[in-house]
Amino acid sequence: MPIDVVIRGILSPLFIASILRISTPIILPALGGLISDLAGVINIALEGIMLVSAFAGVIVSAYTHNVWLGVLAGMVVGILYALLLALFHLYLDTDIILAGIALNIMAAGGTIFLLFILTGDKGNSSTLASGAVPTVTIPFIDSIPWLGTIFSGHNIFTYLAFIFTGLVYVFLYKTPMGVHLRAVGENPVAAESVGINVKRTQAIAIALSGFFASLGGLSLSMAYLTLFQNNMTAGRGFIALAAVFLGGRTPLGTTIASIIFGFADALANQFGSLDIPPQWVQMIPYAATVIALVIYSLRRQAKQRERLRRFQEGEIDDTKTAEAGSD
Amino acid sequence: MKKVLQSSAMRELLRVLIAITVALTLGFIITVLVSDDPIGAYKSFLFGPLTKLNRFGDWIEESITLIFLGLAVALVFKAELFSLGQEGQMVLGALAAGAVALFVPLPGYLRIPLAIMAAMVVGFLWGLIPGYLKAYLDANEIVSTLMLNVIALKIYEWLLTYSIKPPDAGYTASATFTAEGTMPTFFPPIPFLGELRTLFMQQTNISIALYLMIIATVVVYYLMYHTPFGYELRMVGANIKFARYGGINTKRTIVLAMAVSGILAGLAGAHVAGGIHRKLILNITFGLGFEGIIVAILARNNPLLIPFTGLAYGYLRAGADVMERTSDMSREMVLVIQAVIILLVTAERIMPMIQKRIRTNRAQRNGDPPADAEVIPAKGGD
Repeated sequence: MPIDVVIRGILSPLFIASILRISTPIILPALGGLISDLAGVINIALEGIMLVSAFAGVIVSAYTHNVWLGVLAGMVVGILYALLLALFHLYLDTDIILAGIALNIMAAGGTIFLLFILTGDKGNSSTLASGAVPTVTIPFIDSIPWLGTIFSGHNIFTYLAFIFTGLVYVFLYKTPMGVHLRAVGENPVAAESVGINVKRTQAIAIALSGFFASLGGLSLSMAYLTLFQNNMTAGRGFIALAAVFLGGRTPLGTTIASIIFGFADALANQFGSLDIPPQWVQMIPYAATVIALVIYSLRRQAKQRERLRRFQEGEIDDTKTAEAGSD
Repeated sequence: MKKVLQSSAMRELLRVLIAITVALTLGFIITVLVSDDPIGAYKSFLFGPLTKLNRFGDWIEESITLIFLGLAVALVFKAELFSLGQEGQMVLGALAAGAVALFVPLPGYLRIPLAIMAAMVVGFLWGLIPGYLKAYLDANEIVSTLMLNVIALKIYEWLLTYSIKPPDAGYTASATFTAEGTMPTFFPPIPFLGELRTLFMQQTNISIALYLMIIATVVVYYLMYHTPFGYELRMVGANIKFARYGGINTKRTIVLAMAVSGILAGLAGAHVAGGIHRKLILNITFGLGFEGIIVAILARNNPLLIPFTGLAYGYLRAGADVMERTSDMSREMVLVIQAVIILLVTAERIMPMIQKRIRTNRAQRNGDPPADAEVIPAKGGD
């Protein structure tokens, strides 16, 4: 396929709509990763949580013939799985990274194992009739030519991803719980000394990250596709983690970073029709993540140098220095 | 020294044994619930690798890979660097070793060492990247190594498909290595054991990688505990700020730790390419990259223990393969067992809890008040 067709494809509203669709299963777990990261507990298990939720949603919806019971089951399983991480890390002193790795391994193995028992197939759940969440047609916008294609007709998880971006912002910056959570992440000892229950706060943060990761997993198996595939998350949990760092650990930044990854992924799909090795194209999102990490680090270092320079020139007063020092 | 070894090593051993027992029991419960012939299935899982010479060979071959990877992980984890890049370093190591084995027209006694060297160099270089990102840009090494793994895998698939695969091949794989490019058998040509040697060569692919593995274990131990680099590595792991104040060039240590770890993962790649498969195939690592983490954790990052944990862990995996082939259970059950083992071994509180329970019970039996005030150090090993 010639290059101009590809370029025209990229400029079409359908392509932009596909970016939003592809970004959804990254934005949701990334918001979860953000919350736990701000609470000082890095959640490596996002990938595994997404997987068990995607699986639970498909299985329950297939056996109950009820989509919403599937969604509910996926959320409950995801939160419980995250609480397992909290239990081991906070109360049994397991290193959080090792516990996260263990839960990811268990999720990968356990879902395939159960899938094989239930369907006799290790690849996917196509023999089960699992449900799909409905798509939403936005009344007025839908009829506008370009905007309608871009913004209307997505599945509910896509809209949830953006709604939650706002809600997470409100939660983190405008509620006492959110402020406590960030305080715990900044300096657990200081938070403890003013009477915040550090472990409980971190446990809540991990549970919340489980909730968001479960939505991400469900969006994969009950919206993006309508079946479960073995290892269908394909590293999205880790990409979500990268999005948190790239987004400067803020809700809006995290969502934008997730969309950048979604863009790289959608681009890879478009380039797939060109006559170049598919491996090059498949590499794009991962290479983009590494480059993004570099850019984020360089930016942060530049910021620190700037701060140091201003501090040395005596431009900022003491209260601001304290704030800068805590970063 | 001896005393420390005895007490903490014993506690570690006990901890690992308890974890494995609990995990295997759980595995058995799952098997009973699922299988039509649970006893047969579990028997093939537990004893399968010992029932035939070729299965024994599979076990040893996979264990060698696991031990190389475990050593690679131990090196970085000792410095508290959570590099998960072994998979990528391994696959590129296999690529480098395979390319030399296939295309460099040298006699075997030169080509094979060159292939091994190439794998080591490539592993080292691929490890430099996340090391540099971590040391100089403070980029999260978990994320960077995971991304680099996928990139490495794609480079491998691309070169294999477009450059290495013979044009007339029906599926994506290289030509089989000639004898000049294959690692020779580990069995030395001893006069009276000629028949046994032939048997081993026919039934197994255990190669000189076995000796490389032993050498690597000793070298990593020596490096870690008897060289300045090892000291710096351990200091960075124990307390990076303190290490920096102590005048250690922590940045250099971090970069080197990641890169040297890559050498060992590269060796694992050379072993799977030149020792086991004797050609380059798609998915050559079989997802083993992450398994090195478990081997290292079980050994508490102690290089001298890694051969043992590698063999034990390889045994579980080999048993799972036999089970899958001979019963109605799927091998993924072992992943669940693995996860439980990691969780139980790394949960610092579990052993002290059990010890405390035992002590309280004993105290109550003796009529003493429970020894609550006694604090048992939660940290085992280091």
